[in-house]
Amino acid sequence: MARKRTTVSAEIIQNREIAPLHFLMTLRLPPTFHPPYPGQFVMIRAENRQPPLLGRPFSVYDFYHDKKALALELLYRVVGQGTRIFSLLPQGEKLEILGPLGRGFKIDGRRRKLILIAGGMGVAPLSFLASYVRRRGAGSSFEIVSYVGARTASYLAGLDKLETMCSKTFISTDDGSLGYHGKVIELFEDHLKTCHGDMPAVYTCGPYPMIRQLADILRGCSGFCQVSMEERMACGIGACLGCAIPIRNKDNRQLYKRVCKDGPVFDIRDLAWR
Amino acid sequence: MDKSRKFSPKMAVNIGGVALKNPIMTASGTFGYGEEFTPYVDLNRLGAIIVKGISLKPRRGNLPPRIMETASGMLNAVGLENVGVDAFIKEKMPFLRDHDATVIVNIFGETIEEYQKVAKKLDRIDGVCALEINISCPNVKRGGIAFGARPDVASEVARAVKTATRLPVMVKLTPNVTDIVEIAQSVEDAGADAISLINTITGMSVDIEKRIPHLANITGGLSGPAIKPIALRMVWQVVKHVHVPVIGVGGIMDERDALEFFIVGAKAVQVGTANFIHHTATMDILEGLETYLVESGIDDIHDLIGTLREEGEKC
Ligand SMILES: Cc1cc2nc3c(=O)[nH]c(=O)nc-3n(C[C@H](O)[C@H](O)[C@H](O)COP(=O)(O)OP(=O)(O)OC[C@H]3O[C@@H](n4cnc5c(N)ncnc54)[C@H](O)[C@@H]3O)c2cc1C
Ligand SMILES: Cc1cc2nc3c(=O)[nH]c(=O)nc-3n(C[C@H](O)[C@H](O)[C@H](O)COP(=O)(O)O)c2cc1C
Ligand code: FES
Repeated sequence: MARKRTTVSAEIIQNREIAPLHFLMTLRLPPTFHPPYPGQFVMIRAENRQPPLLGRPFSVYDFYHDKKALALELLYRVVGQGTRIFSLLPQGEKLEILGPLGRGFKIDGRRRKLILIAGGMGVAPLSFLASYVRRRGAGSSFEIVSYVGARTASYLAGLDKLETMCSKTFISTDDGSLGYHGKVIELFEDHLKTCHGDMPAVYTCGPYPMIRQLADILRGCSGFCQVSMEERMACGIGACLGCAIPIRNKDNRQLYKRVCKDGPVFDIRDLAWR
Repeated sequence: MDKSRKFSPKMAVNIGGVALKNPIMTASGTFGYGEEFTPYVDLNRLGAIIVKGISLKPRRGNLPPRIMETASGMLNAVGLENVGVDAFIKEKMPFLRDHDATVIVNIFGETIEEYQKVAKKLDRIDGVCALEINISCPNVKRGGIAFGARPDVASEVARAVKTATRLPVMVKLTPNVTDIVEIAQSVEDAGADAISLINTITGMSVDIEKRIPHLANITGGLSGPAIKPIALRMVWQVVKHVHVPVIGVGGIMDERDALEFFIVGAKAVQVGTANFIHHTATMDILEGLETYLVESGIDDIHDLIGTLREEGEKC
């Protein structure tokens, strides 16, 4: 049996700080790389170097054909050792990439209105979802509205690009430095009250407290809301059980699912809260 | 295959009555039940697959977060999540049989009776070649002290499992003890057919901003390159004092790490955390080992095992 290499080697084309502590990394991939779907992620490591020992998961921020090669974009924030090391890697350096991994967002063609709710780096997979929808044949017939929240205005990395793909974009910051002063879910909730009839398709990604707040306000709503979840990972393929999150199954029993394999995208109503 | 290779070295080893085509196995808990790895590894090329630890009833495992990377290693507190022995036999074994894998089942329990029950259930299952008993888990009847922390309890578990099965039994030791040799000897006396070591070393890590532990379970087991020197030292100590085969586990990332274990006397090795980083790690190590033997003119892996020259270079 032909053995697949697990990782491919990708060259860094650019790795630029676009906002304080926020980096946009573009990678050149070999033509064998399977095209990712919105919500899927990759595990990355510096080639032949350590630390970090384990790969780190990042959502696909964009993917396209660039001349003869494939290009993958990641948008990331420096939060610890691994991301700090990645942020220092110069152009031309090689990364080991595993992916695309996981199950992405479901796009229901009958729901023509999409609402994206992003907290912090949650903007990455949602921005790819918007690009993906826009690039498809019927892309222009979709209405995309986004709600984007961050700690402070300078942390709104990725906003410029997302805005161009949305008919409306609402912004919130925790410190009030831009847009609504408060949490992005409060902003969305205000708008939800004015929303009648058919619920649009809601897609979200962000920190746990934000997702929980959203789950609370959507309880009892008929609509469909998919969330991309984050958890620390080791293997990325479902073998280590390190990335478990609590999920409620149909019989209302709580069990653990793997973010890497069963997710990272879940139905928000299936999440179990402590 | 490499055309320059003049001969293929003999890689087969026998571990307490289990004939393995080569001495490379997967460490329990790092390879699931094999399914996730089939795109990357021919399961039947592995010496053996040691599956994720199995208990009598399914276990949900610990709350997240369950893992954290630390210097040259990782902490895990997965909490022995598994499908339980019945589902394992029904849902996982057919797949492993189809792939012609040599399967060793890692088992654990909260009481000695539980170990026995799991062992009994696996006794006549087609395709199961041996059992590996994990004695690193807490003994519920004795205030949660690990079975493997005391020689008398460790040997009690080993003996109980031996009487419950006809399969060869490997006992996997915990390094969280004062005297590893004492424990190894006690399980050998109890009838263990082989001894594997080491399981993870208990550790912890703290988020200094939030002042909370990085793991929900607070403590976790350390694995990866950070533990290799400890694992190697313990294997070296144990091989001098037991007659049964010893299997080295801990921080093996490439064939050079594996070679160190063979040289100190391990008859086989298990690859754990490395599987997470490169899913082909076991195959890379196997091929690397074969190349090393060819290049060194060694035609049987046995000629390498236990060849440490303790007198060193100078003498
Ligand atoms: C499916 C998925 C997609 C992701 N997409 C992106 C993305 O597009 N952009 C981005 O910036 N980040 C993303 N993340 C988070 C990213 O993986 C972590 O920020 C990164 O692994 C941190 O590595 P580190 O070594 O810098 O931090 P560490 O030193 O390991 O940890 C520093 C801090 O970050 C927290 N942390 C570490 N890993 C994670 C994690 N996986 N999820 C949440 N918190 C974590 C730790 O608890 C710790 O407090 C994603 C995570 C997942 C699971
Ligand atoms: C995520 C994870 C899960 C593990 N689960 C088990 C288990 O179920 N039973 C067991 O005996 N050992 C388990 N181990 C321990 C490994 O089998 C091995 O002994 C240890 O990780 C040291 O080897 P390594 O450094 O090569 O990983 C686990 C280790 C890890 C990292
Ligand atoms: S990261 Fe290993 S199971 Fe998800």
